[in-house]
Amino acid sequence: MIVVALSITGVINRTRAVLAGRKGIRFFQHVSNARLMLRKGAVYSPTTTALFRIAPCVYLGAAIMAFLFIPVANLEPVLSFHGDIILVAYLLALSRIAIVLAAMDTGSSFEGMGAAREALYGALVEPALMMGLATFALFCGYSSFADIFSTAQMFDTNLSIVMLLLAYVFLIIMIIESGRVPVDDPRTHLELTMIHEVMCLDYSGIDLAMINIAGWLKNAIWAMIAANAVSVVVCFHWEFATPLAILGSGITIGAIESLRARNKLSRNTTYILTIVAMSALVLLTGFLLYQNIDI
Amino acid sequence: MFLYALLAAVVAILAIFVSPLRAKVWVATTVISLAAIGALFLVVSSLIGGEIMLAKFSTDLFGLERISVDAVSALFLAIIAIASVAVVIYSRGYVEGYFKRFSPTHISLHYTALVLLVVSMMMVVVSSGGFSFLFSWELMTIASFILILFEADRQEVRRAALNYLVMMHIGFMFLVAGFVMLYNVTGSANFAAVECYFKVAKPVPLFVMFFLGFGMKAGLFPMHIWLPEAHPAAPSHVSAIMSGVMIKTGVYGILRMLQAIDHNTELLYSIGLIVLLAGIVTGLWGVILAAMQNDVKRLLAYSSIENIGVILIGLGVAAVGHAAGSNLIGMCGMCGALLHVVNHSLFKTMLFMSAGNIYSKMHTTAMNQMGGLAKHMPVTAILMLFATVAICALPPLNGFVSELLIYIGMFNGVSDGHEVLYAIGGIIALSLIGGVVVLAFSKLYGVVFLGSPRSHHVAESTEVDNQRIVAMAIPAVLILVIGLLPHYAIRPIALVAEGVTGADSGLAIASFVPMLEKLSYIGVMLLLVISLLFVAKRRAQLKRKIESGPTWGCGFTAPNTKMQYTGESFSEGLENIGKPLMKDTVDGRAVEKSEIFPSQHNYEVRHKDKVDSLLGQWWVKLMHRINLNVMRLRTGRVNNYITFALAFLAAVLIFTLVGIL
Repeated sequence: MIVVALSITGVINRTRAVLAGRKGIRFFQHVSNARLMLRKGAVYSPTTTALFRIAPCVYLGAAIMAFLFIPVANLEPVLSFHGDIILVAYLLALSRIAIVLAAMDTGSSFEGMGAAREALYGALVEPALMMGLATFALFCGYSSFADIFSTAQMFDTNLSIVMLLLAYVFLIIMIIESGRVPVDDPRTHLELTMIHEVMCLDYSGIDLAMINIAGWLKNAIWAMIAANAVSVVVCFHWEFATPLAILGSGITIGAIESLRARNKLSRNTTYILTIVAMSALVLLTGFLLYQNIDI
Repeated sequence: MFLYALLAAVVAILAIFVSPLRAKVWVATTVISLAAIGALFLVVSSLIGGEIMLAKFSTDLFGLERISVDAVSALFLAIIAIASVAVVIYSRGYVEGYFKRFSPTHISLHYTALVLLVVSMMMVVVSSGGFSFLFSWELMTIASFILILFEADRQEVRRAALNYLVMMHIGFMFLVAGFVMLYNVTGSANFAAVECYFKVAKPVPLFVMFFLGFGMKAGLFPMHIWLPEAHPAAPSHVSAIMSGVMIKTGVYGILRMLQAIDHNTELLYSIGLIVLLAGIVTGLWGVILAAMQNDVKRLLAYSSIENIGVILIGLGVAAVGHAAGSNLIGMCGMCGALLHVVNHSLFKTMLFMSAGNIYSKMHTTAMNQMGGLAKHMPVTAILMLFATVAICALPPLNGFVSELLIYIGMFNGVSDGHEVLYAIGGIIALSLIGGVVVLAFSKLYGVVFLGSPRSHHVAESTEVDNQRIVAMAIPAVLILVIGLLPHYAIRPIALVAEGVTGADSGLAIASFVPMLEKLSYIGVMLLLVISLLFVAKRRAQLKRKIESGPTWGCGFTAPNTKMQYTGESFSEGLENIGKPLMKDTVDGRAVEKSEIFPSQHNYEVRHKDKVDSLLGQWWVKLMHRINLNVMRLRTGRVNNYITFALAFLAAVLIFTLVGIL
């Protein structure tokens, strides 16, 4: 799981480089960057309060806790209880509010802009996430990640299509939450068009490293859920699911980033609502299939 | 019994009026604390020993009535007691600011109304129905009306108070009609008779009457429009008690209905669906409008509407689940809803008190004039942050526990195949509510407390007195306890849920407690991880260079505080989605793009509720005209009035003779 967290960004960068015909940076360059930042001092704006300094810790802490609930195919997660799928969603919301408030704390209009967008997209993507989770619950009769994926092997093959669609939905959720093209472009140089990056403009040193690490963890959460959904269909074993999580999500996101332009900002809402509709559709399809099997 | 109660009330009121200006609050505090201690005593003994009968009497109107405390009353008594003590402690510092502006009589009236409100709310939840219930319900309305009118020299306050009074009486009419129908059929107007009524007569009309009557108090869509008007007008501690506790009496009434139809599965099912649907609509409407507001107290008022929606979603899940034969889903929904009643009473009280702290220093509730208050009012800022995290239902605080239970009820519905589609509807609504609440409250907190000041009032504001802080700490402690030790908090709640549904709670407790225990560990772990990270960061930074530099202005070197993101701009993205729910009113003129050197402009947008604008329609004007014509009959001459009375008597005589009456 930690391997997944560390490697996804590398795969994305490599895919981008290959598609652009470049040689690309080192595979673990982002890790080295983070290590470098962990050794640095910091600059804080006089506008900020203590909240600004605590927020990265909350951001990372909540992400770590959420991370501990995710199983890797047949490997048990560290923590698990009945209902943890909801807890994970709300832990991620906790990390979101921490970073949004920190961005508001700087008093910068650009960061306010990023905070407003992040809060809106986060709010809209929540139903999609919950419906994806509800689909799992529908099939497996449980509401904890560990139970869902441990009983999931006994599926009818009819349901595999639903699982693949679910994997797709979670991949898109990953794109939205981690601020990748087409919703947000981490490489843009213009603050006006940034979403996630603009919120951490005033962070430096350890704080920035914490935010980046939390970003990797979150990516790993989504990628792993998507990979688990796929490996339920194909081969439910961690030796299969782990590389799938890394390569599948990394290459897809890298390819999308290289091949697509980002959305106009005003189109993002529509884009996210499409995913919500999509996951509602997946849920309904799943429901119909499930009912047929019963009868 | 009654004489003693009346005597006690008269003595208390006299004491408030007679005592010197600064002592009035202490008299009120003593009275309310005594009432609260008595209530808590009743709560504990009724939860342990079962229903307690306080009095039994016969009324001319509705026959035999009882005053008794059962599990459901106990829950509401408890939240009334806790919130009212916190509120009256808080009120000292808040009301002191008005000593110069208002006469001592005015202040006495305020405290009398506060005491009456608390007592009448307690009476509402212990009376069995009929006359005593209606009497205390009306007393509650009038007391809160006087409380809203505190700043009666402001026109908008008078308007809002009148609006409140009228709407409450419309609701009251429905209740009276409901009780009369009940009495006619069953010969008793107690809530217990509702069950009997539903067996012999058509259930829909009675249910609609009660649902409308209670829904008016609770702020159900579309009857919610009094809330965002009354709360900004009322003093903050009054908003706190009204929003935290008083609107819950509406929920109490709906709970009594559900309790009565518990054995009638078919009816329970359809009523559960109505409640669920009402909850979804109310919650979504409330939360989207909350996110659009730019006034601190209006935002909080809409958030109360949203929370009522969440509670009703829980009740709906409970009813539908119970009717579908799943005890566990029923218990999940019911416990979640009841716990949310408690939770909301705690954090909303705290939030309104914070709003009061801000208002008493800033003399405005317009969010866009604030900013950076955290530096000037640090304790208020911390407490408000705490309440914000709680109301956003984020772990590890209490809001999450109740929403988790409701979610689990719905997820169980999905996985067991009970009413999957309704459960999905509930999940979508609740998750969307959860997401937008985060937006609304990060906007509120970010714009008010963070960033740099947008007006000079901020720099002049200071922290409030300690007594107000103590008052806010009371709910804060309970929030923390419920959040971190949910497996203890659920036991009394499950007892109450058992009282409502009649189902055995043992099974549900057995399934909740291990889960909540885990949740409590995880909450503690989360706090530990966060503090460890923070300590590690601080230690690492000790030896390094920590600099202070201005916020990155993206190359722009002369930013000013007006350039910060305002509340309006924060929710701009949501505006496109929320547009159908609102009617915007615009004052002034915006700067046009063609103006190269912009001159000074005043520009104000208010996002008004669409339902609100219905009140300005043609039919209101028609009523107005009819009223004017009727007013002509009011001549002021006694002989005219006697003629009218004579005409009335003659009409009655003729009608009786003809046989119409």
